[in-house]
Amino acid sequence: MRRTKTWIGIGIAMCLSIALGLTATAMVQSGQMADGKVQLMSAGPMTFGPAGILFVGDSVGASVVAIDTADAKAPASPVKINVEGIDTKIAALVGIAPDQILINDVTVNPVSKNVYVSASRGRGPDASPLIVKVDGTGKLTVLSLDNARHASVSLVDAPPAAAAPNARQNPRMQTITGMAFVNGNLMVAGLSNEEWSSALRSIPYPFKTASQGATIQIWHSSHGRFETESPVRTFVPYDIAGQQYVLAAYTCTPLVKIPVSQLTPGAKVKGQEIADLGAGNQPLDMVPYKKDGHNYILIANSAFGVLKLKADNIETYPAIESPTRTDVAGVPFDKIPALTNVQHLAAFDASNVLVATSKPMNLTTVALP
Amino acid sequence: MRKFYLARFVCLAVIAFVAVTAIAQTPAIQLDSGAFKVTGWNAAAATIKDWSPLFKIFAGTGDVPPLLGTYAVEGSTLVFHPRYPIAGGVQYRAVFQIPNGTAITKTFDGPQRDSTPRARVVNVYPSADVLPSNQLRLYIYFSAPMSRGEAAQHIHILDENGKALEGAAAVLLRGEELWDPNYQRLTMTFDPGRIKRELTSNKMIGPPIAEGKRYTLTIDREWKDARGLPMVEGFRKQYRGGPAQRTPPDPKQWNVNPPKAGTSGALVVEFPNPMNYALLQRMIQVSGSQGTIAGSIAVERQETQWRFTPREAWKPGNYRLIVDTGIEDLAGNHIGQPFDIDVFEKVTERITAATVPIPFTIR
Repeated sequence: MRRTKTWIGIGIAMCLSIALGLTATAMVQSGQMADGKVQLMSAGPMTFGPAGILFVGDSVGASVVAIDTADAKAPASPVKINVEGIDTKIAALVGIAPDQILINDVTVNPVSKNVYVSASRGRGPDASPLIVKVDGTGKLTVLSLDNARHASVSLVDAPPAAAAPNARQNPRMQTITGMAFVNGNLMVAGLSNEEWSSALRSIPYPFKTASQGATIQIWHSSHGRFETESPVRTFVPYDIAGQQYVLAAYTCTPLVKIPVSQLTPGAKVKGQEIADLGAGNQPLDMVPYKKDGHNYILIANSAFGVLKLKADNIETYPAIESPTRTDVAGVPFDKIPALTNVQHLAAFDASNVLVATSKPMNLTTVALP
Repeated sequence: MRKFYLARFVCLAVIAFVAVTAIAQTPAIQLDSGAFKVTGWNAAAATIKDWSPLFKIFAGTGDVPPLLGTYAVEGSTLVFHPRYPIAGGVQYRAVFQIPNGTAITKTFDGPQRDSTPRARVVNVYPSADVLPSNQLRLYIYFSAPMSRGEAAQHIHILDENGKALEGAAAVLLRGEELWDPNYQRLTMTFDPGRIKRELTSNKMIGPPIAEGKRYTLTIDREWKDARGLPMVEGFRKQYRGGPAQRTPPDPKQWNVNPPKAGTSGALVVEFPNPMNYALLQRMIQVSGSQGTIAGSIAVERQETQWRFTPREAWKPGNYRLIVDTGIEDLAGNHIGQPFDIDVFEKVTERITAATVPIPFTIR
């Protein structure tokens, strides 16, 4: 009798667990915001969506999480950020040596002007993801991922290694390199660690279904002769003559413009090259801005430092047909020598850009050049 | 005399008791089972809601915030539980401000770390010693999980004179580390700006690998593994530049050698040119009348041979190799589509299907 009761109890508990599990899965998969533990295996590129919603790309977990930061209040007075040794400070907060902190991305809440830093505690596969909020006073707060209002969407579409069923773990990984919120869609760029032809994804937000979003093939035409399927490294939404575009920078530094109207599910899009920044370089971040009635785009690069693209009348530049200078082509740009060791750039306000440097790792608001 | 000894004993016992009591009542900080504890002070008797101004742990020096964690009073002991586990190689400074008293400070070292190097480079693909001048990717396999963020510092390509190719002459694209989930395989990309024909970099500097030139890939021993320790030894491999590989892989040119029925012999597929090692692991499957055949894959002869050994003996009948058209050669060309398509020349075939079947028969 006692044993029967025990089994009934176990049965009820299992049913409840399954029901709760299904509910939790359904809630997350339906894309509705729900309170609970954020299943984040890594914290990479970030971007803000509507009203304090922070999108965090998780390359290891092959997903994107939307976290409601409840941080949607404008500051009472203008904010400046100046935090020296952000890696040392984060390391002290989480109790690890500073060389074991990797800063992955930096973004700014466009409303509150608080800065969000994604990082990892540790450099190996067991590293813990961290999202740290930095306010204007320099105070650091680690976002609790144990119970946060969030929704997530899986990006898993990798075919299983069927022929190798004993493989410990599929080595294929799609590293998320950039995200932007464009016209109600989260655009996600990634690089595969195996095949070259990575696609850009467009995921409607709120995440309505468990769909990982439609993919868009981006082609890159060089000088009108060769077309190459290429992964996009970083991109920003940009208005050109009243039409919405994305400006996308490729792993091999051409900068192209693509009309947003063409970024439809399943589309095969050819971007028009408007600048070629040169060899041995990776574009890292782009920040478009206006100053004294002129348009500019600030681009941080792995090898070339920070460049200021002169973007007035960008619509008048024809697609690059041949190199016009020895090392660069297309829309002209200047180097900003005052900005060195820049790892990340993020739009801050009408007059300032947020700069994250390495050696030392500082976060600073800098007047737009 | 006896009384004297008894009195002496009682006296010593009292002194010892007083001393022990005094020690017990002196607040002290201990690190016990990953938590910091204030002993010798009755926290239960205190009416304090926020302990954070009184008890702080610092895991760094200078102007740094205190360690994250939660406070609890367990019995009469004040306990700080760090949010993250105590880490090796870190010194922790605990400071307890006794209410209406002085502050006590104690430092603790995190657990000792294993200091035996274990990681080494086990394989690099392509494994051949000739690279096409438009080589696209390089896979480096390690025996143990590695640290992210160190590749640019520790991977070098040297020219014939042993000089590292840096700056605009750099061959590998820096700054993008593409790891597998275990951090045991790193994918590096050759500068695509120099590979893609007609791009400025390609026209001005030429392809990353020049035909006929010799190169050496070196990987420093100093590269730290995931535990923060250097590798057992460094790695060197020599390559020679070959001609560009522009023709996409064509399954019609592949040589399929079926084994005999009733055996568990390997099905061997030979390619005229080396293929991408990683994609060979998952982009070819064997299908029979009952669906996908389970088995193991081996890639041999410098990625020109794919061998499939079935889990069960072959049965006579018709089979198909199902090849994903995304499979790439060393230069990123895939089936029906070269890496860069010359739009001035007629592209004879643009395959839109996701897979290509290659039939074969087991007899």
